[in-house]
Amino acid sequence: MSDASEKIVYVCCGTGCLANNSIDVYEGIKNKIEELNLNAEVLTEVKPTGCNGLCEKGPVVKIQPDDISYFKVKASDAEEIVTKTIKDGAVIDRLLYFDTNLKRKVKSHRDSEFFRRQHKIALRNIGEINPAVIEDYIERDGFKALEKVLSEMDGSGVINEVVKSGLRGRGGAGFPTGKKWKQCASYDVSPKFVVCNGDEGDPGAFMDRSIMEGDPGSVIEGMTICAYAVGSRNGFIYIRDEYSLAIKNMRKAINGAREKGFLGKNILGSGFDFDIQIVRGGGAFVCGESTALMQSIEGKVGEPRAKYIHSVEKGLWGNPTVLNNVETWANIPVIIQEGGDWYSSMGTEGSKGTKVFSLVGKVKNTGLVEVPMGTPIRELIYDIGGGIIGNKKFKAVQIGGPSGGCIPEELLNLPVDYDTLSKADSMMGSGGMIVMDERTCMVDVARYYLNFLSEESCGKCVPCREGIKRMLEILTNICEGKGKEGDIDELLEISELTSEASLCSLGKSAPNPVISTIKYFRDEYEEHIRNKRCPAGICKNLTEFYIDNDVCRGCDLCRKNCPANAIDGAVKESHFINSDACIKCGNCINNCSFNAIKVK
Amino acid sequence: MTAFEKIVEKYPKEKRYTLAIMQDIQKEYKYIPKEHLSMLSEYLEVPMSKLYGMATFYKALSLTPKGEHIITVCDGTACHVRSSAVLMDELQKALKIKPGETTKDGKFTFQTVNCLGSCAIAPVMMVNEKYYGKVTPNVLRDIIKEYGGDSIE
Amino acid sequence: MKIVIDGKQFEAIPGEFILQAAKRNGILIPTLCHHEALSGLGSCRLCIVEVIDRGRKKVVTSCLFPITSEVEVITNSPKIHKMRQTIIKLLAARAPGNEYMKSLMVKFGVESLDGFTGDKNENCILCGLCAKACEELGTGAISTINRGITKMISTPYDEPSPVCIGCSACASVCPTGAIKETMENGKKTIWGKEFNMAKCENCGAEFATTKQYEFVRKKLNIQETEKVLCPKCRKKLQSEKFKDIYQDVKPE
Repeated sequence: MSDASEKIVYVCCGTGCLANNSIDVYEGIKNKIEELNLNAEVLTEVKPTGCNGLCEKGPVVKIQPDDISYFKVKASDAEEIVTKTIKDGAVIDRLLYFDTNLKRKVKSHRDSEFFRRQHKIALRNIGEINPAVIEDYIERDGFKALEKVLSEMDGSGVINEVVKSGLRGRGGAGFPTGKKWKQCASYDVSPKFVVCNGDEGDPGAFMDRSIMEGDPGSVIEGMTICAYAVGSRNGFIYIRDEYSLAIKNMRKAINGAREKGFLGKNILGSGFDFDIQIVRGGGAFVCGESTALMQSIEGKVGEPRAKYIHSVEKGLWGNPTVLNNVETWANIPVIIQEGGDWYSSMGTEGSKGTKVFSLVGKVKNTGLVEVPMGTPIRELIYDIGGGIIGNKKFKAVQIGGPSGGCIPEELLNLPVDYDTLSKADSMMGSGGMIVMDERTCMVDVARYYLNFLSEESCGKCVPCREGIKRMLEILTNICEGKGKEGDIDELLEISELTSEASLCSLGKSAPNPVISTIKYFRDEYEEHIRNKRCPAGICKNLTEFYIDNDVCRGCDLCRKNCPANAIDGAVKESHFINSDACIKCGNCINNCSFNAIKVK
Repeated sequence: MTAFEKIVEKYPKEKRYTLAIMQDIQKEYKYIPKEHLSMLSEYLEVPMSKLYGMATFYKALSLTPKGEHIITVCDGTACHVRSSAVLMDELQKALKIKPGETTKDGKFTFQTVNCLGSCAIAPVMMVNEKYYGKVTPNVLRDIIKEYGGDSIE
Repeated sequence: MKIVIDGKQFEAIPGEFILQAAKRNGILIPTLCHHEALSGLGSCRLCIVEVIDRGRKKVVTSCLFPITSEVEVITNSPKIHKMRQTIIKLLAARAPGNEYMKSLMVKFGVESLDGFTGDKNENCILCGLCAKACEELGTGAISTINRGITKMISTPYDEPSPVCIGCSACASVCPTGAIKETMENGKKTIWGKEFNMAKCENCGAEFATTKQYEFVRKKLNIQETEKVLCPKCRKKLQSEKFKDIYQDVKPE
């Protein structure tokens, strides 16, 4: 029903855009519409939505049915948007997205390379609904899969569909989801539990956050379908404490689902009961590990336990438990609706369907993207991501966060696929993809991750606690100029112990950043150890910046922006850095368009 | 009813709500006072040592009061590659405290967090609930001044 | 259930841990955080072995790995030995002044700490046995605090614990002797708390703290009016009672 005088304005209120004051844009547009009494001529609904994905260019505002998308919108643009676009249907050119690959502006975000190359399944509703209003989810086929399951299917039929789909756990381990459900269903034990792991802790990853904030209904529906299939009546959604908006929106969605009869007792009159409780995390990355998460739900410290007996057999309070990641749950309703065969028609032999990645770091189009499995990494970084900021040189991309490894330039043609990435000493992980350029020191990256893990490890077992401690010590020494011959061998010796003998996967995967950076960037380690020099100019003790006078144009931008007043030079003349005053912050390099500032 | 009673009333009297109750106490008092830990131990019949262990394990809980202004610098990987380390160095120099600590005058608490999910405006910093993006050392000085801190030399 | 350990076949009880099955058959696997009286911790990882299950090899801790199928176990391959050496090296680096750790270095052939340094006064290797003992046998006065590399054992607020009964279960299970208890002027001090001692009304031995005696008395429902007896004298008393019961019974 396309009525020309009815419009919907979608204002992104995901955490990324909120940080850029999108709430002021939302309020601004709403108030302007009221002020001008616009609803008399054009019935306008303004929806706050979840994350659209292109966070680099937020706040994002979309107007339908005109299919116009505006980026980097400020509150001061509200008036113009209301009068020009909503009222008169005209496009405001300066607010359109400039696609750096197409080298032109596009009217709708759908025309941009960033969006065109994606295939949104888990992210299907985000940016298109108001997540706090359950009716929006229902309007976009929300809970239709649940209806189908309760009226036409039995437990094993549901599990069969998930097995056929080839869906593998999206939290990182990639365990076949259908197999997990099947195992849990096989135990004739009561009660059983269904858990959602929303403790997304990988620094640089916000896929789960966006789904929990922007489409919480999909997670609820997925869990309810599973509960029916395995025979559970109680579910928990464990949400990281820092994600307050996700907790808020999930609460609203649970309440909304209950009101509509999709959750609670006698769901849709089927006689099936299932309800969900939200549990807040306590600020511990290790609680993203499934057994630690369950300990946390039980009210204890988040210390993992040996997984010799799987959680599907003995999980929460010793009972059969299915634990899956947010993105995994979000895929379930579509798999049921369209069928497992449809899902497995996408992707590769071993990795079916699509995966959401958070493409961040030194890439132009930072944000969330969802692509079919098998997409080459190069396409993600260059075609979708737009390439490296400032057109600097690509160095590596870290995939899988602190549990993953770096992929160097020579491997950029590798497809995103669970097994391919493992073979390359990296890991799919939760989907965090950190792009690094020539101004990233790979030894510092290894040190950074180990520093992170040294605080996040639960500290119970020796290989992890003591191993990480000593590896961190060695790496810190190397970065401070105290590295010595034998350090690399020592790192590899400890890595072997920690990766094989640690109690849980946090410990087992902790050495990965060390192993992969040594494998692909050994020369950088040796430069630090032997020549006491950091080629990337990041390790302060091993860095000295200088200005190449053959290249310097004297634009004076570096001197003006130096926080330590360490640069001298007159306009249009060569500039100089005073090494004694320089604090090695690199601000000058960021400001120089001529690449005149170099590392000695 | 005391504030403590109001908090525990919200939950069934079960060990599994320990973390949730402690988080509510943290929110109410900005830390977990010793008396409350002790009262909770009696109420839930859980040894004090277990509760103390939890309070020191979970970073969302603290046993010492937080400052008037909480400065949170994101040290997620995306922010790290966009030089959040520089920010943390400068903040440490200015406030003379390390991450996790509070200034002696109780004005500022400096903490780090891993990924606020705003990677597009990295490096990101929050003061209380307000976000600041693309923060450079110069901008940092102005922000601290805004909240009544000493300027960095 | 049949399993193979180090090339030899043995009978195992389904569900029992590899460590138990091995011990029963005379194969000793080294441990550090294991204690017969307490449930498994799995924190030291010294008891690691290689298990071959359906063609796949994996490294597991024998103290907690249940035997549920006919697997093959290798308890001391060169790979396992190397990893055990690294574990000892890391722990000895943590407590370089500790005599027990020094002796383990000799036992496992760890020649040097490779430049790793640690606090010469540290004796704790964080095996967790003390906290476990206090939790399962005592009053839960101590626990692990913090996490990651700052993890340690402590009483709440590092103060004498109101619930500590001075039973010394913690000190008796500690492999490195890291928990100090002292006796002076008839009083025991442990974890910063001073205790009066209970005296056996029969032989006069100061066998437990008064608080510990109270704790056990309540648990076992011993009447307050009963004599305070040390374990030796209590046993003597019980055997007297049995003598009375069985005095008319003659051996066949």
